[in-house]
Amino acid sequence: MATRIEPNVQFIREMQAAGGESLKKCYQCATCSVICPLSPEDAPFPRKEMIWAQWGLKDKLVNDIDIWLCHNCGECSDNCPRGAKPADLLAALRNMAYKSLAKPAILGKWMSSPKYLPQLIAIPAVLFLIVWAISTGLRIPEGEIIFAKVFPTLAAIDPIFILVTLFVVFTFISSIGSMFSSFKASGLTPKEDAPGIFRSLIMVVKDEIIDHRKFKECESNQDRYPGHLLIFYGFIALAIVTGTIALFYWTDKLFGFGMTTPLALWNPVKILANVGGIALIIGLIYMTRSRLNADTRNAINSYYDWYILGVIWVVAVTGFLAQIFRLADTATLAYWVYYVHLVSVFMLFAYLPWSKLAHLVYRTAALAYARQIDRRGFDE
Amino acid sequence: MADKKIGVYICTGCDIGENVNMEKVVEYIEEECSPAVLKQVPFLCGKEGLAQIQNDVENEGINRVCVAACSPRVMWDVFDFGPDVIVDRANIRELAVWSFHDPGLPEPEDDEMSDPLTMMVRDYIKMSVSKLDRILKPEAEPVDLDKTIMILGGGFTGLTAALDAAETGYDVVLVEKEDKLGGFAAKMYKQTPTKHPYEKAEPPFINELISKVEGNDKIKILTKTSLELIKGAPGRYKVTVKQGQEEQQLSIGAVVLATGWKPYDSSKLDNLGYGKIKNVVTNIELETMAKDGKLARPSDGEPVKSAAFIQCAGQRDPEHLPYCSSVCCMVSLKQAGYVREQNDDAMAYIFYKDMRTPGVYESYYRAAQDDPGIFLTKSEIQEVSQGENGKVLVKVTDSLLGEDFEVEVDLLVLATGMVPTISDEPVLKLGYRQGEQIPDLDLFDGFADSNYICFPYETRRTGIYAAGCVRQTMSMSTARDDAAGATLKAIQCLESVNRGVSVHPRAGDPTYPKFNMVRCTQCKRCTEECPFGALDDDEKGTPEPNTTRCRRCGTCMGACPERVISFDDYSVSMLNEMIASIEVPDDEEEGGYRMLVLVCENDAYPALDMAAMRMKKWSSYVRFIPIRCLGSVNTQWIAEAMSKGMDGVLLLGCKYGDDYQCHFIKGSELCNRRMDNIGETLERLQVEAERVQQKQISIDEYDQIPKIIDDFIEEIEGYGPNPYKGF
Repeated sequence: MATRIEPNVQFIREMQAAGGESLKKCYQCATCSVICPLSPEDAPFPRKEMIWAQWGLKDKLVNDIDIWLCHNCGECSDNCPRGAKPADLLAALRNMAYKSLAKPAILGKWMSSPKYLPQLIAIPAVLFLIVWAISTGLRIPEGEIIFAKVFPTLAAIDPIFILVTLFVVFTFISSIGSMFSSFKASGLTPKEDAPGIFRSLIMVVKDEIIDHRKFKECESNQDRYPGHLLIFYGFIALAIVTGTIALFYWTDKLFGFGMTTPLALWNPVKILANVGGIALIIGLIYMTRSRLNADTRNAINSYYDWYILGVIWVVAVTGFLAQIFRLADTATLAYWVYYVHLVSVFMLFAYLPWSKLAHLVYRTAALAYARQIDRRGFDE
Repeated sequence: MADKKIGVYICTGCDIGENVNMEKVVEYIEEECSPAVLKQVPFLCGKEGLAQIQNDVENEGINRVCVAACSPRVMWDVFDFGPDVIVDRANIRELAVWSFHDPGLPEPEDDEMSDPLTMMVRDYIKMSVSKLDRILKPEAEPVDLDKTIMILGGGFTGLTAALDAAETGYDVVLVEKEDKLGGFAAKMYKQTPTKHPYEKAEPPFINELISKVEGNDKIKILTKTSLELIKGAPGRYKVTVKQGQEEQQLSIGAVVLATGWKPYDSSKLDNLGYGKIKNVVTNIELETMAKDGKLARPSDGEPVKSAAFIQCAGQRDPEHLPYCSSVCCMVSLKQAGYVREQNDDAMAYIFYKDMRTPGVYESYYRAAQDDPGIFLTKSEIQEVSQGENGKVLVKVTDSLLGEDFEVEVDLLVLATGMVPTISDEPVLKLGYRQGEQIPDLDLFDGFADSNYICFPYETRRTGIYAAGCVRQTMSMSTARDDAAGATLKAIQCLESVNRGVSVHPRAGDPTYPKFNMVRCTQCKRCTEECPFGALDDDEKGTPEPNTTRCRRCGTCMGACPERVISFDDYSVSMLNEMIASIEVPDDEEEGGYRMLVLVCENDAYPALDMAAMRMKKWSSYVRFIPIRCLGSVNTQWIAEAMSKGMDGVLLLGCKYGDDYQCHFIKGSELCNRRMDNIGETLERLQVEAERVQQKQISIDEYDQIPKIIDDFIEEIEGYGPNPYKGF
């Protein structure tokens, strides 16, 4: 029984709008699949995704695990004789996944286009203004600059970000569930003797995330490996800092020992925070340079790319400036910059499941799933 | 030209002087031929050399010049001493000095004999002198003619040809059987792009062309007119046409055949649902629907929201048309656009074997590919069946999607191909003895084409030039070039026959076959064998030559058992004399064997030159005589050579058969047939039939010349000397 095929012209337009503009240009020579360092031997990507996309075969594409195996190095697009930009198509499909996998869908829509940026900014901006209004009536407090005077940890920051975290975690759990069931729908089921999902996850982290092995294999874009690596470890450092400070805040409250912010500059936690921040900024420079230098004949930069780069830039820069203005004792500037910092941090985390940064979770989960079904690259 | 006064000029440049014993050559020629003048000149082609000849022409009355030097294919425009002086070139450089391979014979005891190279040079000069002795000054036979060009077919090609001819200054009669001009081009809704960036279909421009043609007073248009008969020959055709019941006689000079194509019989495509499923149509039918503004499902008139195109329907298929019609891919891309312009969500699938959009039309393919509603895949069609609600189900396999699948569409379009109009009906209606149609059309799947890559519009009938889709499947832009090309050939024909010279491929040759009817036995061989149908005959079978149809190959001369046909500079007796001038040593041990090689001038002779210029060497036992075509070889020459004691005859000419390269199409094939008869005769005379052989060679195979010749010599040496030697 032959499969009935019904192209979805609307879906083609959506893919084109989400960054896969040139997908129709492919003439199926398969150069992309041959050149890709990560593509598996069996049913390699991205050739098959190209024809599925040209034919608007939505069902196949939304269930496709291979879009997560791609690390977007761009070699396929660089070598495409037709300018069809397969790397852009896969990026576009991931963008569409960010938009559609997580609920509520309205956030996905807002994250997909710059015209909704004002709403996205307004939510945290208003929220933290309210906090500020309640704490000090929107005034700059006197005396030593302590950000908690305006944004109290216990009363505002912790509840807000704990709620955000719960919201994000819950969203991810449900969207990863639907992602896995879509993989199953396309016939990819782990064999009985396959490793469990947590063992697979640990294998993925150990085997490829820690050393960023797959980024190294990319010849087309040399900036991405150090850039991605620095940002990744910058965030890890900052996460450790945030976690430690939160922990000691409570030990201080409950047991009377610990630390309260602001920390002294020589404090190891503070040193780690600054080292992490510097790593983040250097990584951002690499990544931004690689985006700006991208040959537009072979690659486009989508709104998803710029959103995430932009937000991380704001987070990193305002983080440093807030510290500098605090040390320089310029209260007005310090508080306002810290306010912007909080807004951007909110935008980074609260919208994470719909942003490009969601690949942190989706790709890791998909790679673990790929291990379970034993789908690995030709050279692995 | 009463007295023949022969001057022989031997060039001693280009290695000739150093290698040849000139003393012996001069002595021999002096004694054997006694020319009026015999000179050795260093660098004969130089100013001083030429001045010497010119001086002798003016002061000594020399009117026949033997230039014993390089090949006639080089310095071809140098040795010209006016219209009254006949020049022949004895090719002693390429055929003797440069290709000479010393056989290592013992030093001759006999004083008559000489070293092999010197003997060879002597032979070539003596042959040339005997040729000059026989040759007549060529006199063309100019004719008064009607220079009107008749264009058959009023489609795009015919209209373009008519306009081209009229604008060049010729009167034109345009004959169209339908009541309107324009052919298929006028039935199109849109046409594929003709200008940069070649991305969008264009509104047809055929109406502009029609009004230009209609407004040109040099063009007489006959619509609703059928061709009844073409009698006569180029320059003086008498053509009968019929308009309604009324017959008309036209005087025509040359004809452009542009009757185009008709669609393949789609009733044979029931395997693809045609005739069985209502919503299956051909590309022609879809074009008509679009032109009429009624692009709807034939079953219920509902709009077409999806359509599938099956490419190569009944084409590139041994059971249907074996060839590609070259435009269907473009047409389907265009028609997919018709479906798409109905509705922004309409879908058009194209299932192809190969997407063929040659040259700049790649841009059109790319543009269509970019349309989100056009879906392309290579595939094989597995099944076409009736779906629900009048839809058509198309199942395909071997697709680029990596799986077998089916689609359901409102309309299935079969991209059917072109059949040349001439393939199964006698479009031309020639009143020729050999029949009304161009012969051997099946070699080209029914198209009026030829293997002439350099002269694409030539048909097997001089004066009739094919253009457009009756010649090959082609797009309109190619047809435009074709129309211009065929028109120029028609003009070339008129401007040659008016001066009495040949059109093609011996363009400008003033000689023509002359018939000595007194000795003709009405055997009809010439009439039947002429590859170009140049000869008609009367009731008794006496040939009636039509010189303007003739291509001067001499096939008639080769066919004639009574030797009644000859050219001013090419005849049976002339070649006999040349063969007779070859010195055959009585003892092959001493002087070596002698083989005659009759070489076709078109490919084989240039191949010899090229081989010699590349310093290839071969046996010095051979003597080459260039001939117009192997078809002109008369068995007399073989008899002459064998009776003279030569040990073998090799005929070197073009390839024959389906992929013939013979410039006269049938010449080498006919020769091969005649050689079978010769073989039988030789065997009756107790001579091995293998002593006479024909070998095929094309110009690019020059490197094989030494092997062909040396293998032949070796084979003959195996038989030993000709038993009739010395008789």
